[in-house]
Amino acid sequence: MAQQAGRRHKHLVVRDYLAELIATELDVGDAVPSERALTERFDVSRMTVRQALDALVAEGTLVREQGRGTFVAPRHADFEMRLTTFGEEARRRGLEPGARVLEAGTVPANPRVARALDLAEGTDVHHVARLRTADGTPMSIESSWIPVHLAPDILGDGVPDSLYAALRDVGLGPTWGEDTLQAADATTTEAELLGMTSQHAVMRTERRSYSEQTAVMFTRSTFRGDRYSVFVPLREARPMLVPRPARPPAPAPTPAALSTTPEGAS
Amino acid sequence: MSTSDQERAAAILAALGGVDNIVEIDPCTTRLRALVTDPDVVDTAALKAAGAYGVAHHGRVVQVVVGPEVDTIASALDDLM
Repeated sequence: MAQQAGRRHKHLVVRDYLAELIATELDVGDAVPSERALTERFDVSRMTVRQALDALVAEGTLVREQGRGTFVAPRHADFEMRLTTFGEEARRRGLEPGARVLEAGTVPANPRVARALDLAEGTDVHHVARLRTADGTPMSIESSWIPVHLAPDILGDGVPDSLYAALRDVGLGPTWGEDTLQAADATTTEAELLGMTSQHAVMRTERRSYSEQTAVMFTRSTFRGDRYSVFVPLREARPMLVPRPARPPAPAPTPAALSTTPEGAS
Repeated sequence: MSTSDQERAAAILAALGGVDNIVEIDPCTTRLRALVTDPDVVDTAALKAAGAYGVAHHGRVVQVVVGPEVDTIASALDDLM
């Protein structure tokens, strides 16, 4: 709908003010001005103020606590999509990674895992499920599968801190992979494990990690949407390959032929 | 470019139904996304035999997972097209 030139929706003015305040003056956990203070400051309705606050809560910049008020949410951890593990990415962001092992053992590969790892269904795979934390806060639930025949003893001394490091130790360091990302709602179990109270949006990822020509690990992760951002470096796309048009062999033009072309180039 | 890259590219092109079946091929970071004229002549088993890590069909688009060697394979394909 057309907006009158030069006028912005009032809730956007309030939102921009709050965003600027959060970026420049407030720290994580600080309360934002009350709804009443904002109503008076901008001479707008309570509904307009709520609309501005709701937008910032929805994007995870603010967090509402029942009966207490609205506060600056913890910053999102922006993890780069590259061939690193949760722990490695967390450390590079100055966060201390942690893990709580939920499951660990050897299981027959189900159809999905088998397909991802290019195995026959039922082949033995190591399975590790962990709750990943950063500075003690739950960030993601991660399930990984590694073919047993590739690395039989990888869980021999318990679950290693880094599965990639353990794979490198047996000469199967991942060299490339593919991630697939999908937005979803957390299941009840996931929300509980991740300590998500009001927001339930999550990002699910699937990764196939290869060491040269061998699929070494399949990983499914669920990241909480209110604490996690993905950072993806981009580069120009390679040019599209198209078949060259087949040209019938034409006689090489001679200067004479060119000069006598009736409808020559103008 | 090694002979094996060229052989691999030639095998992939043949499995996609040859140059006549190709409308265009989009080389991504780990995949070749081919738009073909007739998806029925694409030979998935032959693509896998040519070293594809996975093949996904969506209508006339065939995605061939080739890994990071996509650059050299794309160059070889360009020579063959």
